Amino acid sequence: MTPVGELGTFQDAFAAALAERTAAPITGWLPEGETDPAGLAVYRNTIAKGCVDALAANFPTVASLVGDDWFGAAAALFARDNPPKSAALLAYGVGFPDWLARFPPADDLPYLPAMARMDGMWATALFAPEGRPLAAEAFALEPQALAAARPRLHPSLAFAWFDSGLPGLWLAAREPQPGEMELAEDPQGVLIVRPHENVTARLLDRAGHAFLAAAADDATLGEAITAAAEADPAADLPALFAALIADGVFVGLDPGDPA
Amino acid sequence: MSPTAGLGLKPQHYDDALAADAEGLWFEVHPENYMAAGGPRLRRLEAIRETRPLSLHGVGLSLAADADPDLGHLLALKALADRFEPFVMSEHLAWSAWRGVHQPDLLPFPRTRAALDRIAANIGRTQDVLGRTILVENPSLYLPLTGHELDETDFLVELTRRTGCGLLVDVNNVFVSASNLGYAAETYLDVLPAEAIGEIHLAGHGVDANEARSGSALLIDTHGAPVAEPVWALYRRLIDRVGPRPTLIERDDDIPAFDVLMAERDRAHGLLQRTLMGTGACASPQSRPEPVGDDARG
Repeated sequence: MTPVGELGTFQDAFAAALAERTAAPITGWLPEGETDPAGLAVYRNTIAKGCVDALAANFPTVASLVGDDWFGAAAALFARDNPPKSAALLAYGVGFPDWLARFPPADDLPYLPAMARMDGMWATALFAPEGRPLAAEAFALEPQALAAARPRLHPSLAFAWFDSGLPGLWLAAREPQPGEMELAEDPQGVLIVRPHENVTARLLDRAGHAFLAAAADDATLGEAITAAAEADPAADLPALFAALIADGVFVGLDPGDPA
Repeated sequence: MSPTAGLGLKPQHYDDALAADAEGLWFEVHPENYMAAGGPRLRRLEAIRETRPLSLHGVGLSLAADADPDLGHLLALKALADRFEPFVMSEHLAWSAWRGVHQPDLLPFPRTRAALDRIAANIGRTQDVLGRTILVENPSLYLPLTGHELDETDFLVELTRRTGCGLLVDVNNVFVSASNLGYAAETYLDVLPAEAIGEIHLAGHGVDANEARSGSALLIDTHGAPVAEPVWALYRRLIDRVGPRPTLIERDDDIPAFDVLMAERDRAHGLLQRTLMGTGACASPQSRPEPVGDDARG
């Protein structure tokens, strides 16, 4: 722990005054008789607003679904217990989806944590390192060489599988003019990637998810295709592969060991 | 290059900023908003930097904390500086980070001699890592703290003397603090040494809506309104005395159309041009045509 001088002693007191919502800890630095200075609330409100604005930027679908008032109140409560740990707020709120799942007022909005999780995936993809997707020509190899090659995935790629149609709900809610939103019962996956300038997102079926899960686990293309076929024997594997290439999820292809 | 007026760059204005043709226009951003591995935001800033000078104005270094500046944050700043080659870099006389928590605000402290030693060391460390001098901005203040051993102006001047840093004078912060704590903004501005001032900020403020107490309501540095007329008057007074300096219009909340902000920016630009004519800045030793942040430290 940092050795603390008189400046640090004041900071400890001021941090306590902010957290405990009372001026008592900083009484020694206030004029006599000043017990509840309005200025302390100004700092407190500015901090809360900074956190709420950052969370609203990172979780826009959640904010649009619950409205600004509900979101602002929830985000301020989250921020009180989970203050930022970095001056850069681009990634602030990593714990927000799990926190929402334990937030009693959200009990009748059971889809909300998943919406937050996908918002978080989107925000992460937005600021992820650059990557240059491979063109389709890069995959024009002999079948054996192609099967033995290991794909490298785009650094911005995120994907997930859900037990219901939450990804479809999330995609619909992100439309500029959301129409009627329904939660499909069938499980769905989501794929989020920033191949070039912009982040894109689409639904992922069971075979596509199995393929990416295998590829992310350092599988060869052959192994990943096998995983996709096992996940859904009826899957159109050439179409699945072509779609992922078009999505821009592959940035490299390492030749496999000669068979 | 004679000092001109710039504008705080907001993501919703990237296209307008790229297309703008105003003479001498430059932009300023908070580097914390660009501390990312990649993505469109960095690319847009790169495109803008290709046509315009850029200033990096930090809000998260926490110079007035009783701890060394965070090395990771400093290195991220350095990486942005190397990539975007800003003509000036600045930070605040305030703290935000303490014991692992980052409050997104600029917090006050008692201006003691011990605090002066610590903050001078923090500025020195920052400048050593960045390999350049920075400007330090006066904060807006809301609490009548006791225990100050130096006036804010003396404190700032002593920091420039000890570290070689320059000053970023936020005229709106001077106005807000003077109103909240009960001193004369004119007196404050009049004692700042001209040669230390490398940049000026202008922004709008609001009145504390929560203030239902007796006495006058606090002014709040919201950056959510046009620059107020009394602040323009203080600005004219300052540049009439010290000469033109790069001047920024800041707007971070309730952000209007680009043209609306450019009208304020053009007003500042016009005042700078007028001052330039009036003082004959080219011949005046008082003026600093080169922003001080460009100086490399030996």
